[in-house]
Amino acid sequence: MAPYPASDADYLKDKTRRDLLNLLEGVRGKKNLVLSQDLAGSIGLFVKFSLLQEYGVDRVFLLENTNVDSSQRNVVFLVHAEKSRQVRAVAEQIKRLQRNGNVEHEFSIFWVPRRTLVSNSILEEAGIIGDVNIAELPLYFVPLEQDVLSLELDDSFGDLYLHKDSGCAFLAAKALMDIQQRYGYFPRIIGKGDNARRLADLLLRMRKELDAEESSGLADLAARGLLPSASIESLVIIDREVDFGTPLLTQLTYEGLIDETVGIKHNQADVDTAVVGPTSVPQAQESSKAPQPTPKQGQKRKIQLDASDQLFSQLRDANFAIVGDILNKVARRLESDYETRHAAKSTTELREFVNKLPTYQLEHQSLRVHTNLAEEIMRNTRSDIFRKILGVQQSYAAGADPTDQHEAIDELIARDVPLTTILRLLCLESCMSGGLRPKDLEHFKRQVVQAYGYQHILTFNALEKMELLQPRSSAATLLLPSTSSQTGSKTNYNYLRKNLHLVVEEVSEQDPSDIAYVYSGFAPLSIRLVQCVLQKPYMLSLIRGGATGATPSPASTASPGWLGFEDVVKSARGSTFSIVQKGDDKAVRARQTLSGNNATKTVYVFFLGGITFTEIAALRFLAAQEAPRRKIVICTTSILNGNRMMDAAIEKGTFAKTE
Amino acid sequence: MAPSNPLANWERLGDSFYRKVSIYDAVFDDDVELENYIVAGAPYGGALALHRDDSKPHRFRDAQTSKSSIDIYSCSGKHIDRIQWEHGIIRGLGWSDKEELLVITEDGTVRRYFGLHGDFTSFSLGNGSEEYGVRACRFWNAGFVALLSNNQLIAVSNYDEPRPKLLAPCPEGEVSSWSLIPPAHTLSRSVEVLLAVDQTIYQVDPTEAEDKGQQNGPFKHASVSPAGRFVALITAEGKVWVVSSDFQSKYSEYDPESRVTPRTVDWCGDDAVVIAWEDEVHLIGPNGVAARYYYDDAVHVIPEFDGVRLLTNDTCEFLHKVNHVTETIFRLGSTSPASVLLDSIDLLEKKSPKADENIQRIRSSLPEAVDMCIKAAGQEFDPYWQKRLLKAASFGKSVLELYNSDEFVDMTEKLRVLKAVRDYHIGLAISYEQYMRLTPEKLIERLVNRHEYLLAIRISEYLQIPADKIYVHWASQKVKVSTVDDEAVCKLIVQRLEGKPGISFELIAQAAYDEGRAHLATQLLNHEPRAGKQVPLLLNMEEDEIALDKAIESGDNDLVSYVLLHLRSKVPLASFFRMINTRPMASALVETTARAEDTELLKDLYYQDDRPIDGSSVLVSEALNETELPRKLEKLHLASRLMADSKDATVVLQQKLLSESSQLLKVQEALDKDLADRSEFLGLSLNETIYRLIRSGYGKRGQKIQSEFKMPEKTYWWLRLRALVAKRDWGELEEVGKSRKSPIGWEPFYNEILGAGNTKLASIFVPKCTNLSVEDKVEMWVKCGMIVKAGEEAFRAKQVNTLELLRTRASGPASTEIERMINQLRPRN
Repeated sequence: MAPYPASDADYLKDKTRRDLLNLLEGVRGKKNLVLSQDLAGSIGLFVKFSLLQEYGVDRVFLLENTNVDSSQRNVVFLVHAEKSRQVRAVAEQIKRLQRNGNVEHEFSIFWVPRRTLVSNSILEEAGIIGDVNIAELPLYFVPLEQDVLSLELDDSFGDLYLHKDSGCAFLAAKALMDIQQRYGYFPRIIGKGDNARRLADLLLRMRKELDAEESSGLADLAARGLLPSASIESLVIIDREVDFGTPLLTQLTYEGLIDETVGIKHNQADVDTAVVGPTSVPQAQESSKAPQPTPKQGQKRKIQLDASDQLFSQLRDANFAIVGDILNKVARRLESDYETRHAAKSTTELREFVNKLPTYQLEHQSLRVHTNLAEEIMRNTRSDIFRKILGVQQSYAAGADPTDQHEAIDELIARDVPLTTILRLLCLESCMSGGLRPKDLEHFKRQVVQAYGYQHILTFNALEKMELLQPRSSAATLLLPSTSSQTGSKTNYNYLRKNLHLVVEEVSEQDPSDIAYVYSGFAPLSIRLVQCVLQKPYMLSLIRGGATGATPSPASTASPGWLGFEDVVKSARGSTFSIVQKGDDKAVRARQTLSGNNATKTVYVFFLGGITFTEIAALRFLAAQEAPRRKIVICTTSILNGNRMMDAAIEKGTFAKTE
Repeated sequence: MAPSNPLANWERLGDSFYRKVSIYDAVFDDDVELENYIVAGAPYGGALALHRDDSKPHRFRDAQTSKSSIDIYSCSGKHIDRIQWEHGIIRGLGWSDKEELLVITEDGTVRRYFGLHGDFTSFSLGNGSEEYGVRACRFWNAGFVALLSNNQLIAVSNYDEPRPKLLAPCPEGEVSSWSLIPPAHTLSRSVEVLLAVDQTIYQVDPTEAEDKGQQNGPFKHASVSPAGRFVALITAEGKVWVVSSDFQSKYSEYDPESRVTPRTVDWCGDDAVVIAWEDEVHLIGPNGVAARYYYDDAVHVIPEFDGVRLLTNDTCEFLHKVNHVTETIFRLGSTSPASVLLDSIDLLEKKSPKADENIQRIRSSLPEAVDMCIKAAGQEFDPYWQKRLLKAASFGKSVLELYNSDEFVDMTEKLRVLKAVRDYHIGLAISYEQYMRLTPEKLIERLVNRHEYLLAIRISEYLQIPADKIYVHWASQKVKVSTVDDEAVCKLIVQRLEGKPGISFELIAQAAYDEGRAHLATQLLNHEPRAGKQVPLLLNMEEDEIALDKAIESGDNDLVSYVLLHLRSKVPLASFFRMINTRPMASALVETTARAEDTELLKDLYYQDDRPIDGSSVLVSEALNETELPRKLEKLHLASRLMADSKDATVVLQQKLLSESSQLLKVQEALDKDLADRSEFLGLSLNETIYRLIRSGYGKRGQKIQSEFKMPEKTYWWLRLRALVAKRDWGELEEVGKSRKSPIGWEPFYNEILGAGNTKLASIFVPKCTNLSVEDKVEMWVKCGMIVKAGEEAFRAKQVNTLELLRTRASGPASTEIERMINQLRPRN
């Protein structure tokens, strides 16, 4: 197995693009492409529309719009096979086209990420399985950034915790197997949470099956199967369930706040043109747009938010408090750069300046966009309501008496702030203090259904099922550190707050020394857990000294799992595990001597159930501290924030008459 | 045995040489009258299928032989299997490159025989083939095209999931000959067909039939070269033309001087055409030069991509172009370094010092010479010359200081394999190039199909290729043929395969099940390590619960869903529920799918499980989906009835809320009737209803509803404030402001009114905010633009500093006023 020089992100991007184009090439002539909504964004991340056109794609339709027409003989569907609703939609549309068209269509379906038995039987039921060409596009991880791989399964949060459907864990396992097949086995799998355990078990099982499948009947054991990887240190799996609290807080990094206010999907944000100006930029942003039909309203503009925008990479992980400063600095630098044109005397100097002009212009555009965006966000963050919400959140996070905040929540309800906000606050309280008092819960239920409609009875049922909002069963057991015999069924924030030092009082947003800067003083539990694995000395000094001054020593030695934190970690919900994947010792040693011990090792951190931008920022902060000894690759099922968590539960129907 | 002359049977054809290598002798018994048979040969030296040509008369011998059959032979004439044929007239007989035999009958039925021993699958061509009948078929390595009697063409390009597809319709007319271009060599990436109709030729692809505008038809033969670049045609006058495949240019013409149309026209590699009659073969090279071969009895031509196999009763020969490596070494009078190197071997054996001399002479080009000898060894069929050439290479590289011997080792390995399979017992007449293209894995597959397990295992061990498939095939075969009892077979198989990794017991079990040995199948299945693999078979065997458990074990929720789908349609509901009850993953999946597709099932499930809240939730969502109000109310009623008996606190609350919800709907209906001419209130939340009432000036009604629903005062006050501000009802707000106390304080009034832009009214509320600090109040005044009032506030609190600040903001008379206050406060000295 030759090591691949390219990063995972580049490799995946390249491979998926090639796979897709090969499939398209296989359909002769011009074709119409039908995409499901959720795939359109993902596909847009690695193929430009113009490239699709080169491969004969005439028009692109969205599956959800059910408007694909007979303008081309070839119709290609690119749809998730795991979602039976979409599969049914495909079957229906094919039948519709077959019925009413006078064109004899040639149908192809590319199932993402694999052809499923269920999709087969649905097509069979519809009686069209013989009329379509079926292929697979194995799209598992979508690289969002060089260090972020996402499965982009938007429903994964609801599936996992509301419907208890662990399908995304299976897909995650498949995706991780792909990495293992490229680099060799994760030498160690460390994780927290029941679903994480499940994912690890799946990985172990798949490895066993792979061994059974791929290997030969040869007696020589070394020649077959995979070995533990030499370039990977470990895989850390964190179940979202372990730390529901963190994503419920309002994210305070720049990217996090954009996600909270306008929403970021597939690295793009739909921003009002009133805020960022009309789409006048023909390069950069536009060309990489997803292949989507032209927006009808014309009032929204897609802003590409990724590392291709230099300014954004500078801003994204910073606390919003200092974004203004950075923007000012950049503006001033740009101006002074511009001024150099006066200083240019010789023609060569002038030519140099002209050569740089396009970069200046690009920077200028990006500066304008981000200034406007930051101002818009600022308008929001300055508002009375926002500050009130933040106040409530921070008091919960700090562990103050939650009942003090109830009045504020009542007021917010009466002032008709969005339902998601209210629910986030209630869930936050429930998570942080082990449930609401039954009396309070009843009170808020009544308040909410009166204010937002009785259909939210269902919303509350869903939230309870997800264990996000619960009555406090017996307060006493929860406030004590759980006894070492049992693993907690709930995360005990009160205990962990102290023992993992979640609240950091004086945090400098300007020059942060701890990950707590991302929430202006609250360190995400999920990341603290990762630190327990990767930065043991730092965590120990934090807990012992309680001082924030100690910087993590980069010389932290190899991490044998949870060692040293077993007891603390037990207070978080779900099972705790650390599995060593053994291989043939001799081969491992041989590899080690070959590759040398001081090479950079990669740590994969997988967030099952979603990750927030703030957590990504915090992980990048860790990665910067660990470089160059370690590289952290962040994997997740989807990008999450509190609103999306609530959306999974909120009932969308109303009692209004439907037309 | 004396070594054969390496130059034997060389034939010069223009610039290059062709040679005919005899591979096997005494191929067929004499009673097989080859001239009366249709012969189809699998590519890469594979098996031969013989079927008696019914159009020719034959001697009646006995009942046995007169029965129609398809016989499968190896190239060396070893009889492999006989397929009794009573399925109608065969219109197409061909092979895929996986050595699957395809038999197409006139009515469009396709039988695909795999594994050489009579196992088959079948499908129908459809598309009118029953009606019109199949006339003929042409094959390529992965598919075929059938020509119907109405000139329609049907292509099948994948045998695993056959999808017969019509090609573009072709014009009427007599098809005199036709041939296909495999998809790999066409622009359309689909198979294309050349159809000689009347005078001309049409090129047909899936979308159109293009007339190539030829005049010299009707063409009696058309044949496309292996790489798809050239087409060989036999014109009406019986001449052979070679043209480019786009028919733009003609390369050569040859007159066979025979009035009989040749039986077959095939390509020998990409440069020469072979035309054959019953007992005569012409090999036509570029520019119309030709070599002729005559035979005593019937000869059959079997095309390969690098040559042709010539088959007679006595011999199996391989006619191919002499590789330039071989040519440079063996050509008469060759002085190439490689040739010299080969000569040195003779000298070396004679212990002549000239050997060294020779080596020194070619020293500079020795590495190339060694390479060449290695390559040439691959081209030889005779082990004597293979050894000779390898010995030369070995000698050569021993002289060299640095030489990478990988290729040498590789070649010896390959030649060993080739020698083993070319043995007449096995009878695979495969050339080196064909072996390279076929790959060792496929070669082993072919051995397995011939039940040559030992050789297959030896080769796979020798080449370090996984051997699991061989074992599985062996075991499946064992299951099929053994007559001993199940336990013994299972024990034998497990014992034999123990410790062999990668064995798919599922396949063996499937074979056992297909043989009707279900018990054996279950036993074997227990040895399968991959849970997922067991599921389909278990379902077939009706071991439903085990199948479900195995599916869950695999963690693949597609598999679980599939099993559930299967079970749902099969078992009664009660036992279905019982099955999923103890399996959380299964019940979660059932719930999820049922929620989207089958709410009745969901209700039953919740009823069975005694989950009243969930059950009523389903009804509530149904109520939301109903369009008419009475239906909505009815569903809500049902929903709350479901929870009637429970005393659980959450249930009680939910029930209470549900009845409130119905109550609100009724109130809203009344409001809609009274106040609005269309549905305006229905479906709003309670808060929104009251807000809208106040905003539209029906404050009284709002208040009534507030008390009806016991809405907290605070909420009501907030709603009224926001509604009045939105209505810009300043008078009413002022009126409200006259009350003594507000449950939400007065600050919100100030903020909201100020936000709406009425500074004057906002200012009224500043003094009422008694619990605020002076600074705040000063700020509030300032926001209203009342600097003087702000000053007074500060003055009262005796804050000079604040006043000083205010002074900078003030202008005109206000500034003098502030000045005055400052002066008053300042101690006079």
